[in-house]
Amino acid sequence: MMNGKEYIESLRGLNHEVYFLGQRIKSIVDEPMFQPHIHTAAMTYELAHDPEHQEIMTATSHLTGERINRFAHIHHSIDDLVKKVRMMRLLGQKTGTCFQRCVGLDGLNAVYVTTYDIDQKHGTTYHERFKNYLLEVQKNDWMPSGAMTDARGDRSLRPSKQKHPDAYLHIKERLKDGIIVSGMKAHITGAINSHEILTMPTRTMGEEDRDFSLSFAIPADAKGVTYVFSRQTNDTRRLDGVLDAGNPKYGIVGGEAIIIFKDVFVPWERVFMAGEYGFTNELVETFAGYHRSNYGGCKVGLADVVIGGSNWIAEAHGIERASHIVDKLTEMIAMAETCWSCTLACSYEGYRTPSGAYHIHPLLANVTKLNITRMVYEWMRLAQDIAGGKIITLPSEKDLENPETMKILTECFAGKEGFPPMDIIKMLRLIENMSVGAGLPEAMHGAGSPAAQKIMIARRSGIDRKMELAKTVAGINRDTDFERIIGKDETAHWNEVKKKIQEKRVQIY
Amino acid sequence: MYSIGLRYCGGCNPQIDRARAVRGLQEGLKKLGMAVNFTADRDSVVDLLLLVNGCVHACLEEAYLKQGGTTRFISAKGEMVDNHYVREDRIPEILIKKIAELIGPPSP
Repeated sequence: MMNGKEYIESLRGLNHEVYFLGQRIKSIVDEPMFQPHIHTAAMTYELAHDPEHQEIMTATSHLTGERINRFAHIHHSIDDLVKKVRMMRLLGQKTGTCFQRCVGLDGLNAVYVTTYDIDQKHGTTYHERFKNYLLEVQKNDWMPSGAMTDARGDRSLRPSKQKHPDAYLHIKERLKDGIIVSGMKAHITGAINSHEILTMPTRTMGEEDRDFSLSFAIPADAKGVTYVFSRQTNDTRRLDGVLDAGNPKYGIVGGEAIIIFKDVFVPWERVFMAGEYGFTNELVETFAGYHRSNYGGCKVGLADVVIGGSNWIAEAHGIERASHIVDKLTEMIAMAETCWSCTLACSYEGYRTPSGAYHIHPLLANVTKLNITRMVYEWMRLAQDIAGGKIITLPSEKDLENPETMKILTECFAGKEGFPPMDIIKMLRLIENMSVGAGLPEAMHGAGSPAAQKIMIARRSGIDRKMELAKTVAGINRDTDFERIIGKDETAHWNEVKKKIQEKRVQIY
Repeated sequence: MYSIGLRYCGGCNPQIDRARAVRGLQEGLKKLGMAVNFTADRDSVVDLLLLVNGCVHACLEEAYLKQGGTTRFISAKGEMVDNHYVREDRIPEILIKKIAELIGPPSP
């Protein structure tokens, strides 16, 4: 297993084509715009070596029996699923942002589960291939990015009907030794600082979309792959200094990128789905289930940080005992722990799939994520409320360091005794970073937008059974439990009751 | 006569109608002329256990494995039977197939 430093050094071995702000980035490790994201991913490696966290950060490989980083593990028990979300909360607490590596973890697990089922139906050998690939991931402690979402072009059209064929990643050619693929994957978390790319289809495909029904893995610097790093709110503050960035060590959200595949060769041993459109729905839903359940872990870790920051600011401003502050903080805590309860429930209600890997409870995972799309906004709103207007009007670090303005600014921003003004500004910048920037829409759309969760919730709610329950309680259906309690047929019972009422032998109140 | 111990999970939020699945199984076995004795008595010695779980989480199977039970079992769990996904309406048919494999064809 690599530690944090070794992970960062391992990225120097990549020779990929990355563009940002119109320029080719020669060394991603040395680029200040990327460093916070790299530090965050490094945390997933570093904590695996910390005896205080190894119990949840590492697991025993079911393939080799060796101790591995949990981010390369296939869940093989309910305990694994529970530890996975504990790991998410821990990393959210340590970094205050997205640590990126869970997308690849969920991709590994989803492809593991689905390739087994494809082979059962079609007699293919995808699962064995994938296990060989997984062994490499575990042995090298790689971070694969999970590349699911395509560019998608005109969403009213199926992938095969798009004006631009590359709107969806697809097979261009099938060769004896592999396939040639082209297309584009969008907003891929941690893409530029991953060792590998693991692709999955973005939606359910039909027969006409056979060539779009595709999953494979390639090295991140494979020939024909180009990255365009995405912009974020206030991103270039990282180039202005340290303080204004808010979270200069770990950044904000995951550092997403567009991945362009131009005639990329993938050898068959790294192809895990090539045309089995009937299994695209399973792969998408399995991945989405794992990923949506995570949000009740990582975002609650972030909530722990922002709740702590809000309470600290309230103390620094001398308002921590005001009843409305206590009420707001309590609201924030209750919402965060509600999401945590949801994600724990996803894990505890998980199940063993035919492949032997464990999957979370899909309905609860979608409920978890739907709560996240609302509650993150709400607890961040309360953080802004508690922090005050200063979070968007603070002077810059340069003005705070300018001898002409430094003294008066720091004196006036001093809070209660014992709270240095620069610390107050640091904390306000952190709250600004977490509550104003890209983290909010990420909570909305990451792992799928609310409408996607609602589709899944409606599909899996068991509404027919709920109607039967209601009909039984209402007396429309026969209630055999009630009949056993009263010791007779329900109709006969009510006839007797009515008769007794008429005879005024029971008191009505 | 071949005996099957019938165990139901608690039924907190089942994805399938467990009792209907078992009724379908019993009727199916009867139609095929397969003589099987079902018992819910937990102390009876049986040839096979049928674990009827309402959902794929399969509390009953989990508990049985945890307690180290040694009797052979078939686990119906939501829309799965043992290691295979099965639509709810096909659960009785799959269970009959599995039981028939264990006890052999019905006597003429």
